[in-house]
Amino acid sequence: MADFEPRIVAFCCNWCSYAGADGAGVARLQMPTNFRIIRTMCSARVDPEFVLRAFAKGADGVVVLGCHPADCHYIGGNYRARRRVALLRMVLEQYGFDPKRLKLEWVSASEGEKFQKTIVEFVDTIKALGPTPLQKEAN
Amino acid sequence: MGFFDKLFKKNEKTEAAPAAEPKAEPVSTKASIQAEPPKAAEPAPAPAEKKECCCKEEPKAAPAAAPAAATEETVGLQAADLGELLPGAPAGGKIKLAIYWAAACGGCDVSILDTNERILTIGDMADIVMWPIAADGKEKDIEAMEDGEITVSIISGAIRSSENEHMVKLLRKKSKIVVAYGTCACFGGSPALANLVSGADEILDYVYTKTPSSANFQADYHADAPVIPQTSYQAPEGELTIPVLYDVVKTLDQVIDVDYSVPGCPPLQETISHMLKAVADFAYNGVALPPKGTMIGVTTKTLCEECSRKKENARITKIYEPHEVDVKDGVCLMDQGILCLGPATVGGCGGRCTSAGQPCRGCYGPTEDVQELGASMFTAVASLFPVLDEDPTCGEDEIIEIMKEVKDPLGYFYAFTLGKSLIKRAVKEKGGQ
Repeated sequence: MADFEPRIVAFCCNWCSYAGADGAGVARLQMPTNFRIIRTMCSARVDPEFVLRAFAKGADGVVVLGCHPADCHYIGGNYRARRRVALLRMVLEQYGFDPKRLKLEWVSASEGEKFQKTIVEFVDTIKALGPTPLQKEAN
Repeated sequence: MGFFDKLFKKNEKTEAAPAAEPKAEPVSTKASIQAEPPKAAEPAPAPAEKKECCCKEEPKAAPAAAPAAATEETVGLQAADLGELLPGAPAGGKIKLAIYWAAACGGCDVSILDTNERILTIGDMADIVMWPIAADGKEKDIEAMEDGEITVSIISGAIRSSENEHMVKLLRKKSKIVVAYGTCACFGGSPALANLVSGADEILDYVYTKTPSSANFQADYHADAPVIPQTSYQAPEGELTIPVLYDVVKTLDQVIDVDYSVPGCPPLQETISHMLKAVADFAYNGVALPPKGTMIGVTTKTLCEECSRKKENARITKIYEPHEVDVKDGVCLMDQGILCLGPATVGGCGGRCTSAGQPCRGCYGPTEDVQELGASMFTAVASLFPVLDEDPTCGEDEIIEIMKEVKDPLGYFYAFTLGKSLIKRAVKEKGGQ
C-alpha cells in the first residue's frame, strides 16, 4: 500500500481555477504530480457523466474546481455545479464509494497557494482511502 | 453492512420520523417558488408529421397504408400499418421466428399479443419455432436447427443466470437477426438493480433465510443449517443441476451481438408495428432491413419534446410523489415538484405516462448522444432547485441537505438503465493505509 500513487482527475474552470493552477506553477509551488487537469469553460460544464466516466475508467479521485460563489464568470454556473456534485456524492455513496473521492473546491485565479493546498490535501485523502474499489470487469 | 440491512435501517428511520406535513395544501404555493420568465422566442411546435424516428425503413415499395398514418395529428411515433403487408405466407415460404425471455417479467411477451388480431397474420408470415410463454418449441428443437436457420429472434429480459446466457448464445448462433426487445434486454431494466447488492450470495441468503416467510420455515425445519438452493445435487439416479445465478446482471448486448434494439417497458404497440413492418417488408418485398444497431421506435430528442404538458421553468424546493399532490393538467410535472425523467429519456412513446399524470421513469433509455440517463438527470434536477440568497455564503453541507430532498437518486434515476450505466454495479471500499 505504501507505494500507492493515486490517479486523480481535476476539472478546472477556465476563468478561475485553471488560472489558479497556472499561478501555482508560475510560483513554483511544490505539489504531488498525481493529478491530470482537464480544463472546462465553467465548473457547470462538468457533466456528471464526465465524473462517472472518470471513475469508471479507473480514477481514484475526482476534484472539481470552480470560481468562488458569487464570482462565477457565467453568474450562476458554480451554484449548479455544487448541486450536481452534491447529487453525485450521494450516488457515489449509494454505489459504495467513499464520497470523499469526489471533491469540490473553489479556487480563484489568484489563489495558486490554495490550489496547491487543495491538491496536497486531496492526494492525502485518496492515499488514505486506497485505490478505487471499482474492479475491472471479470470477463 | 449489506444492502438489505441498510434498507431496513432506512425503513425503521422513516417509521420513527414524525408524520409528514399536511398534504391537502394546494400545489401552487408549495411547488413553484419562483418562475423564470419563459424564453422570449419560443419556436412554434413542429408539425406532427415531421417528427423523426430512428427506424428509417421509410417505405419505398410499401403500399398506400403509410400516408394515412402520417397525417394523423398525434405526437410521437405513428403506428405502421401492417394491414396490406401480411397477405398470407411469403413467396419464399414462411420465415422462422423465435421469441425468448431471459430475466424478464413476461410483460414483453404479452406486449407482442398487443398486436391484437394481427398476431394471427404474424402466424401466416412466420413459424414460431420457440416461444416459452405460448408455443411448444424446446431447446433441443433449436439445437437441431442449422446455424442461421431462424430469421428473427426476439429476446426480452436481462441476462442473470447461466440458463439465460446459454439460451441467448444458442439463439444467436441459429438466428440471422437478433432483436433486443424491451428495456431489460436493452438497458438491464429492473433486474439490473440487483447489481446494487454485493452478489448472488447476498440475494439468495436474503430470500431464503431473511424474508419473514422463509425465516420461519428455516427456523422450524432447518434451525442448525438453513437450506439454500444448490446448483447441483447428487441424487441416487445421477446428478441434478439448476442454472447458476450470476453476481452481475447484464444487458443482452453485453453477452451476444445484437442487431436491433426495441426499448420500452414494455414496447408500445406502435413500436412493435414498426419492428414487424421492417421484418414483413424484408420477408415479403425484399426491402433492405434498417442498418445494424438501429434503435427501433425512438425519436432523436427527449420525451419533453413530445410531452403534452407545458414547461414554465418553475423552481422547486420540495419533491412530491404523484399521489401526494393534485396533479394539474397541462403543466410540466417537474414544475409541480414531481421528479420526471422526461428531460433525459429518449422520446418515442408519445408521453403516455406523463399525459396520465404519472412521471416518466425512463424506460426508453437515454438519447443516442449520451450514455447515461442518470447523469443527464443529475444535471436537470440540480438546475431545478433555485439558487438561494444564502448560496454565496453557505457551505457544501447545506447544499447536500438541499439535495437530500432527492431520495435514493441511484434507484430513481437508474431504475431502468443501471445495466448500461458507467459504474454498473455496487463496489466496496477496501480502505487504504
